[in-house]
Amino acid sequence: MSAVLGLILIPLAVGGLLCLLRSDALRTALVVTAVVVVGALSCSLAMRPSPMDLAELPFNAHTVSQGVMAVGIAISLFLIYVGIRARNALVVLLALAQGGLMVWFKAGPGAHVAVEQHLFVDNFGVIMALINGLVGGGICLYALGYMREYHGKAHADVRDRRPFFFGLLFLFMGAMFGLIFANNLTWLFLFWEVTTLCSFLLIGYTQTDEAKRNALRALVMNLAGGLAFALAIVFLHQKTGTIELQAALKSDKALALLPAALLCFAGITKAAQLPFSSWLLGAMVAPTPVSALLHSSTMVKAGVYLVLRMAPVVEGTKVGLLVALVGAVTFVIGSLAAITASDAKRVLAWSTVANLGLIVLCGGIGTYEAVWAGVLLIIFHAVAKCLLFLCVGVVEHKLHSRDIESMAGLVVSMPRVSVMMQIGMAGMFLAPFGMLISKWAVLKAVVDASPVLSVFVVFGSAATLFFWVKWMGKLLEVVTPPPRVSKELETGEAVALYGLSAATALACLLFPLISRHYIEPFVAGVYGLSASLEQGNVIIMIIMMALVLLFPITFLNYGRGVRVTDAYLGGANVQSSTRFRTSADTVQEVAIGNYYLHNLLNEAKLAWWGVAGSAVLLGLMFLLALLRL
Amino acid sequence: MSPWTRLLIYLVAAPILGGLLAGWDRRITARMQSRQGPPILQPFYDVLKLWKKENVVVRRSQNYYIFFFLLFTVFTGGLFFAGADLLLVIFALTLAAIFFVLGAYKASSPYSFVGAERELIQMMAYEPMVLLTAIGMYMVTKSFHVHDIAGHGSLLIFALPGVFLGFLYTLEIKFRKSPFDLSCSHHAHQELVRGITTEFSGRSLAMIEIAHWYENVFLLAWVFLFFAAMPALGIVMSVAVFLFMIFVDNVFARLKWQAALKSAWAVTVVLGFGNILVLSLWSGKPAAPPAVVDAPSAPVMVETTTPKLAAQPLPATTTTDRRN
Amino acid sequence: MSRFAKSPWLIHYDASSCNGCDIEVLACLTPKFDVERLGVVNTGNPKHADIFLVTGAVNEQSREVIRNIYHQLPEPKVVVAVGVCASSGGIFAECYNIAGGVDGVIPVDVYVPGCAARPEAIIDGVVQALDVLERKQKEMTALANSLDKALFQRATKADAPEILALQKIAYQSEAEIYGEDSLPAQQQTLAELEADFESVPDMAKPFGWDGPLPVPVGPAQIVFLKAVVNGKIIGSVRGYQLGDTVCLRRLSVHPYFWRRGIGRQLVRELEAAFPAAKRFEIFTGRESSRSLGHFRKLGYQEFATTQFNPKVTWVYMQKDRA
Ligand code: SF4
Repeated sequence: MSAVLGLILIPLAVGGLLCLLRSDALRTALVVTAVVVVGALSCSLAMRPSPMDLAELPFNAHTVSQGVMAVGIAISLFLIYVGIRARNALVVLLALAQGGLMVWFKAGPGAHVAVEQHLFVDNFGVIMALINGLVGGGICLYALGYMREYHGKAHADVRDRRPFFFGLLFLFMGAMFGLIFANNLTWLFLFWEVTTLCSFLLIGYTQTDEAKRNALRALVMNLAGGLAFALAIVFLHQKTGTIELQAALKSDKALALLPAALLCFAGITKAAQLPFSSWLLGAMVAPTPVSALLHSSTMVKAGVYLVLRMAPVVEGTKVGLLVALVGAVTFVIGSLAAITASDAKRVLAWSTVANLGLIVLCGGIGTYEAVWAGVLLIIFHAVAKCLLFLCVGVVEHKLHSRDIESMAGLVVSMPRVSVMMQIGMAGMFLAPFGMLISKWAVLKAVVDASPVLSVFVVFGSAATLFFWVKWMGKLLEVVTPPPRVSKELETGEAVALYGLSAATALACLLFPLISRHYIEPFVAGVYGLSASLEQGNVIIMIIMMALVLLFPITFLNYGRGVRVTDAYLGGANVQSSTRFRTSADTVQEVAIGNYYLHNLLNEAKLAWWGVAGSAVLLGLMFLLALLRL
Repeated sequence: MSPWTRLLIYLVAAPILGGLLAGWDRRITARMQSRQGPPILQPFYDVLKLWKKENVVVRRSQNYYIFFFLLFTVFTGGLFFAGADLLLVIFALTLAAIFFVLGAYKASSPYSFVGAERELIQMMAYEPMVLLTAIGMYMVTKSFHVHDIAGHGSLLIFALPGVFLGFLYTLEIKFRKSPFDLSCSHHAHQELVRGITTEFSGRSLAMIEIAHWYENVFLLAWVFLFFAAMPALGIVMSVAVFLFMIFVDNVFARLKWQAALKSAWAVTVVLGFGNILVLSLWSGKPAAPPAVVDAPSAPVMVETTTPKLAAQPLPATTTTDRRN
Repeated sequence: MSRFAKSPWLIHYDASSCNGCDIEVLACLTPKFDVERLGVVNTGNPKHADIFLVTGAVNEQSREVIRNIYHQLPEPKVVVAVGVCASSGGIFAECYNIAGGVDGVIPVDVYVPGCAARPEAIIDGVVQALDVLERKQKEMTALANSLDKALFQRATKADAPEILALQKIAYQSEAEIYGEDSLPAQQQTLAELEADFESVPDMAKPFGWDGPLPVPVGPAQIVFLKAVVNGKIIGSVRGYQLGDTVCLRRLSVHPYFWRRGIGRQLVRELEAAFPAAKRFEIFTGRESSRSLGHFRKLGYQEFATTQFNPKVTWVYMQKDRA
């Protein structure tokens, strides 16, 4: 109990404190301590048997609920103020609508609703808490060094608001813990709104026009999701008489369908699925730790968390099928769009959108196999994607560019970072590493549930392959060896990156254990039965892993028995692999650039079609939910 | 035959068979061009020679990738012949191909680089169809395991004619034959010098050849799987497919990569997906009905070691049924 | 016939042919002659080829190309000059832009006469080339097998061209480390290298040496060593004594023979060649961890660094005679 409360309250308290701290040394000390404490607490949570009994709260739940209400109103008011200042009617309207709705609900129909369990922790919650605590903690450590450098020389024009920045990071983290543990939907809703608010403030951190614009866009989209959430609470109460998440899952599926559809919609907005992907892509303007936080441990994961929670309700229904389709379409479009991007962060963002699409697909299908696969995906994606973002952040600081083309020869200039990036990418798509295991599971689940959907998965993964491998190749290729970067990593960055690389590797090695001790009990708890990987396949995976790990070992034999010559340039080399004599007798440098398939794929058009298609699908979903199909 | 024997036979016999196939390929091609052609054993001579040649590289580490390409190609075929999960086989195949591509990137030469990019495009072109083939087989036999698919009583080709044709289309890419010999070609007419293999020489080039032999045998064995219920027919058809590949190779000119990608995807959607669509409509409900959530208090059955996912106890009704 | 004779792959380069010979080369591939029945493949890629088939005489433009392609062919390799132009310059020999036959640029093994050379003659030339190929292959194997019989001898001026070629190959990977196209060792000309036998070059100054270099120096002060296997030079090093200090310079070993103790042996032999010296000194690039480690194992220790250019910093290492 205390661990759960601690996880929610400590980050919140630390966040508040950090806002007040001006001293760099003190801040560092506090952040490190808090990260250690939160990490230890989430680990201790994982050691306990779940689900936990949290019926007895050490405080008066009613008072807390009043407090929750007050904070909720405060947030709504603040958002209205933001909307007025930005002259954005949509923000004002949405904030007003959901704030008003909640006040009305609290005062009227929901005033006397009985809530048995305000908090609830099961194995899924534990997994999410671990991700949030460890990955999120890693990001905070990384941010220490990164932000110092960020304000040092890289972005001298941006006002240094680090106290505010770190305060928000921890606030975000605390809200995420609350979101994971809350069972009372009104509480959950509050934390949901806090993450929306934090993300808005963090995306707008640099206060450039672009940042402000993108932050506002993120706000509008997430508020739309928030409104759906608020509506879901009202409908759920009206139909089933409860506002508890777990109780809703146990209630009559037909009655809970509309609220579930609304919650799925909320999840889809937060998980940046099409048609709402643009806010996540716009969020790139923020400093890298923010992107990492949004993409890996918090925010978008909150969205898919909710969708996966709703899985048992929508399973087998047309609504579920449509949710799955939105995810599937997002997966394909996101993967194809990632091919066309050369900005590393943009590639990562599209890939996040795509992978979350896969998770939403799982949630929409909703069978036990699919949910099992979805939870696996969440784990692997969180670690690997976070690692990649943080690596890109480091590279951006050193090379002053995050264009993938400028990363040529990174193995020479920043060997350590490039190796970690390779690990992250391998973790994203390559057998026998993390994501591939989950993609495999997804494929099986999809085929079992509705084979027709599998066509999206196969095309999406083919596209995924293309953009990852060409990026990997870019890091390896050394046309003109760049100079070695002197100091690759700051201490905090090093801790985070090494930790995450280890985590990526460990997650792959230990996933059978993770599956057995956390995911399977959770899935079994919901469905009565669970999926798992076959023993034989696990063994084969481990053999593959062992073979791949041999790869670095072969480098012991590096450079033996070969003769180095120039690359073939039609014989016209001018004493090197990189320069050649042209027919006009001038000397030209070799330049090599990746394919982006611009003549086949157009990012804007793809996005347009994706938005249109998924918007239609979502509309259809609400229609069917209303008709209770 | 136990899986281990089959595995062993594959490891030993595949390079021999693959080399012979390559020899026949060159011989038949020559005959189709009214030439005499090289001896059947020519591919072996080539590889033996390459093995003894000096290894010339642009970047010192490039050859390690090739070694792993060979390793994982062999591993892939081994998995297949040992009767493992078809999806896993595909993933291992992809891993092998990625090592090849990364090696070419590592070589950092313009020609191998373009070859690598084209190879990637080809992978992107064939991957969906290959996966759909596995899925199609699963839908018919209810198992992803090569072992079970081969042991399935009926001829898969009847249920999967579209998938088979689509698979043939992608096979042409995998065999590196015209019209899809974009990333590297075995023939005299080349455009990117030697494409993806440009910067590999000596022993590494020999390894690439051997890997192709292993791969080709494995791919033909996959063709066999469509006819596994009648082994004799299966062998005949595998050979026929091989001859057909050579025929197409000699008849068609090379396509642009855009055309290769688009056409392969179109074929995948029309033939592969169409077939699967028909199959799923035909069999009425999806292959396995989703499970029912009765109550969390239901006996928890966490299945961990049962061989197949599909073989799990599944309640007969779906939520939709119950509500109606 | 050995495996080499059964699988000759070739690359065909047109140096400045009138295209007559080229057409005949292509004719060899046609059904009438079909060289593929002999296992011949026209690879078009030097890295894959065994035989370098050149048509036409060498002109200003093709000279470098021929040299480049030749160096990119892996050993063992054979050069076949097809047609009188490639053999001697032919009817173009007197032209203002023609440098003569191919053998003026690279060693030619087989000459195919004719203008244009007939396909039969070309095929015959290729077949003859196979014998040469086989012989070279045997030499190569013998070389690799007789490492333990490496001889360490004093080099003479006559060895200069071979040592220069070796130096260029050996320093290539160093250049890669620094992102340079070439290091000073690779930029040396033949004349400069020949001068190294007689006088102390600039690069042989010990660290911190301000004074002028002693000229002329006695032969005892300059020792130029080579490592020879089967008549081929696979390694070399030179030492210059100035006062009590001996400077070791330009230790190079052919990459094919790395990590087999050749370099270690060369340094030991050189140290032994200066019995009067009290101190030995070398320098190497700071990022060359391999050679740094190598010298540390031989008892050398870093004592100073200098910036050579923005990318390269030299580390000086020394060792006192025990
Ligand atoms: S030898 Fe005769 S045919 Fe051949 S290139 Fe010279 S001039 Fe032309």
